[in-house]
Amino acid sequence: MTGTLGFLTREDRRWELLLFGILVLTVIFNVTQSTNYVGVNNFVNLFELSIEKIIIAVVMAFVIISGEIDLSVASVMGVGACVVAALHDSTSVPFLLAIIIAIGVGGLAGFIQGWCTAKLGVPSLVVTLAGLIGFRGLARILVEDRSIGDFPSWFDSLGQSGLIGPLPFSVIVFAAAISFGGVLLGRTGLGRRAYVIGDNAEMARFSGVDVVDYKIRLFVVSGAVAAFAGVLFAARLGSVRGDLASGFELDIITMVLLGGVSIFGGTGSMVGVFISILIVLNLRNGLGLANVEANTQTGIIGVILIASVVLRNTFDRFETPAAETDPVLPNEKTSANQTPTRREHE
Amino acid sequence: MIKYKKLLALIAALAMLAAACGSGDDDAGDDTVEDETTEETTDAGSDAEDDSMEEDDAMEDDSMEEDDADSGAMADGEFEAGLDFNAILLPKFTGIAVFDQANEGALEAAGELGTTEAEFLGPTADNSVAGQIEIVTNAATQGVDAVMISNNAGDQIEPAVADLVDTGAVVVTWDSPIPSSNGESVFVAQVDFDETGKVMADMARSILGDDGGSFAILSASPDASNQNAWIGALEEVLATDEYADLVLLDTVYGNDESEESYNQALALVDQHPDMELIMSPTTVGIAAAAKAMQDEDLCDDVKVSGLGLPDEMRAYTQSGCAPEFALWSFVDLGYLTYYVTYGLATGQIEAADGASFSAGRMGDYTIETDPTRDAGLRVLMGPFTVYNADNVG
Repeated sequence: MTGTLGFLTREDRRWELLLFGILVLTVIFNVTQSTNYVGVNNFVNLFELSIEKIIIAVVMAFVIISGEIDLSVASVMGVGACVVAALHDSTSVPFLLAIIIAIGVGGLAGFIQGWCTAKLGVPSLVVTLAGLIGFRGLARILVEDRSIGDFPSWFDSLGQSGLIGPLPFSVIVFAAAISFGGVLLGRTGLGRRAYVIGDNAEMARFSGVDVVDYKIRLFVVSGAVAAFAGVLFAARLGSVRGDLASGFELDIITMVLLGGVSIFGGTGSMVGVFISILIVLNLRNGLGLANVEANTQTGIIGVILIASVVLRNTFDRFETPAAETDPVLPNEKTSANQTPTRREHE
Repeated sequence: MIKYKKLLALIAALAMLAAACGSGDDDAGDDTVEDETTEETTDAGSDAEDDSMEEDDAMEDDSMEEDDADSGAMADGEFEAGLDFNAILLPKFTGIAVFDQANEGALEAAGELGTTEAEFLGPTADNSVAGQIEIVTNAATQGVDAVMISNNAGDQIEPAVADLVDTGAVVVTWDSPIPSSNGESVFVAQVDFDETGKVMADMARSILGDDGGSFAILSASPDASNQNAWIGALEEVLATDEYADLVLLDTVYGNDESEESYNQALALVDQHPDMELIMSPTTVGIAAAAKAMQDEDLCDDVKVSGLGLPDEMRAYTQSGCAPEFALWSFVDLGYLTYYVTYGLATGQIEAADGASFSAGRMGDYTIETDPTRDAGLRVLMGPFTVYNADNVG
C-alpha cells in the first residue's frame, strides 16, 4: 500500500510535510521582514554562505542513518584546506595535484577513523571526537598559525564568482551531491544497506551485509568529501588559517537531525534533510537581513530543533499502533515499530 | 482526535514563536525611526575648532566630492549633520564589555550627528570568522552605506568586503584592521602599536623602582598579531640602554582564557623565584594574573601590570596587586570610528593621506598612511590612559 515511498515509513513522509510547513512559514516571515530577501543574488548568497556545511550534510545523513556519527568533519575540512595551502606555500606541487592530495589525505583520515570504528569496535562518537581534536592539531601544525593566501586566480574565482550564470561552482556541486545522494539513499541497495545497518547492525551482518567494509567505506567518503569541502571553503575565503571551519560539525549535524534523521540510526530521508537545510539557511538569512543578533539567531534555531524533536516523539507516541501496546523507551519504540514497517516494502 | 489536537497545538506554538520573532523585530524598527526623528541635530556647530592648516589639505584631497560637500561644514572641518547614513557596527564578536563600550561611543556620535544609529551586529564568539563574513555579505544585500569592522577574520574577510565595496558601501576598520588593507578605506587605530611597548616599559619601571628588576610576560595566544606587535615593541624598548635594568625572563601564553592564564601566572611564580612583575598585554590575562597573585597571597612579592579594563582591575589596583595598568577608551574608539565613517560615506571627506576632519568632542584628526602595515591608511586615536589607585575610580 505504501510502495511509492521507497524505504521511507509513513512517519518519515509526514515529517517531511511538517518540515515543509515550517519552511513555508520561514519564507513568509522573511518576505515580510526584509525587502532584500527576494532576489537572485540573495538566494545565491544564502546557499554560498553555508555551502561547505551542506555538502557535508549529504554524506553525514548516510553516516547517521548507518548508526554512526562523524564529529571530525570540520577538522578534516581544516586539514584539507591546510594541506593545499602548505603544499602551495612551500613546494612546487601543481595546485590541482595539491587539491587531489588534500582529498586523499581526507579519505585517509576517514579510513583510520572508519577502521577504528568498524574493525576495532570503538564507538564512532569517541573515535571521531579524537579525530576532531587530532586533525585540528594537524591543520594547525601544517600552516603554523599563519594565514596562507595568494592562490592561483582561477582557484579564487572558482570560489568567489559565478560559474553558470550567478551560480558558483560550489552551489552546483551541492545540487549534484544532494540529488545523487537522494537517489542513492532512497532508491538503491547501497542506501537500503545504510538503513538496515543503522537499524540493527547485528541483523545486517547475519543477512550477509559486510558491515565492517560498508562503514569503513562510508567514513572514507565522509573524510574525502569533508577535505574537498575544506578546499572549497579555502577558495571562497581566498586564504587559509589553522582554525578554518572550526565548530562547523555541530551545524552540520543539526541540519541532518532536523531533517528527521534519527540520531540512533535507521531512519530519515534525503528530502527531509534537504528541506531542513533550506529551513536553517533561510532562517539564518532572513534573521540576518532583519538585523537580528547572532545569539538570538542561534537561540531560535535551537528552539526549532528542540520543538522538532518533541514533535517527532509526539508523532511516534500517538500515531503508531505498535506504541500503544509496547510501553518501552521512546528510541526502542521507534525501531520496534519501524522495522516491521520497512519490511513491508521489501 | 486527541492526537490531532496535540499536533495542532504544537503547530500553533511554532506559529506563535515565529510571530514573536516578527514582533520583536518590528519594535527594533520603530526604535530606529524614532531615534532618527527625535535626535538633536544641533551639536555639529558647537565644538568648532580652528584647524586652518589641515583644512587646506582636506580641500585639496577632496576635489572629487566638493559638489556634495557643504562649504560651511568644510570651512571648520566639521561634518554637516543629519545626512542619510545607514551603517553596521561589526565587533569581533558580541558579549565582551569593550565592544559594548565601542557601541556606546558610536551611539553618542550618531546622536550628535543626528543620523540613524548604526546597527550593532556581531557574530557569536565561537563562530567569529564565518559570522563576520555572513554579516558583511548580508550588508551588501541590504545596501547599507557603511560597515565598521573590528576584523577577526584576517585576510579571509577580503572577498566579502570586496563584494560589499562593489555596492558602493564604505568599509572602515577599527580595533583590528584588514592586514592587507584591501577594500578598507581607513583603519581607526586605538593607539600606535610602537607606543604600547614604551607604555608597558614605563609602567614596569614605575612599579619595579629605579633600580629595575626582572619580569615575565603573560600574553594571549601565540598567533595574536596585535599582542605580538606590542611585545615586539616592548622588547625593542628594553634593548635600549635606558631600560637595561629591566630584565624580561620569559613569555608565556594563556590564550585569553581565564583559567589557563591563571595557571600560567602561578607557573611563572614557581619557575622564576626572582620575578617581581607579570606584564600582561591582554585584558583577560591581566585580570587572571592579578586574581592568581591575590588568591595565593603573593601580591607583596609579585605585582601585575599590562593592559586592563578599569572595571575588572579596580579591586586589584586598590589592593596594590596591580598598582598600574593602561588602556585606551573603547567608547572613544567607537565614537571616532562613527565620525570618520559618517564623513567618508556621506562624501564629506575622502580616504586620502592628509585629509582631516573634526570628530565632535574629541577634536581634530588627520588621515595618514599607516606606518605599521605595508599599505593602507589610518586614523590614530591614542593616547593611552594609565590607571592607578588615584584615577581608577
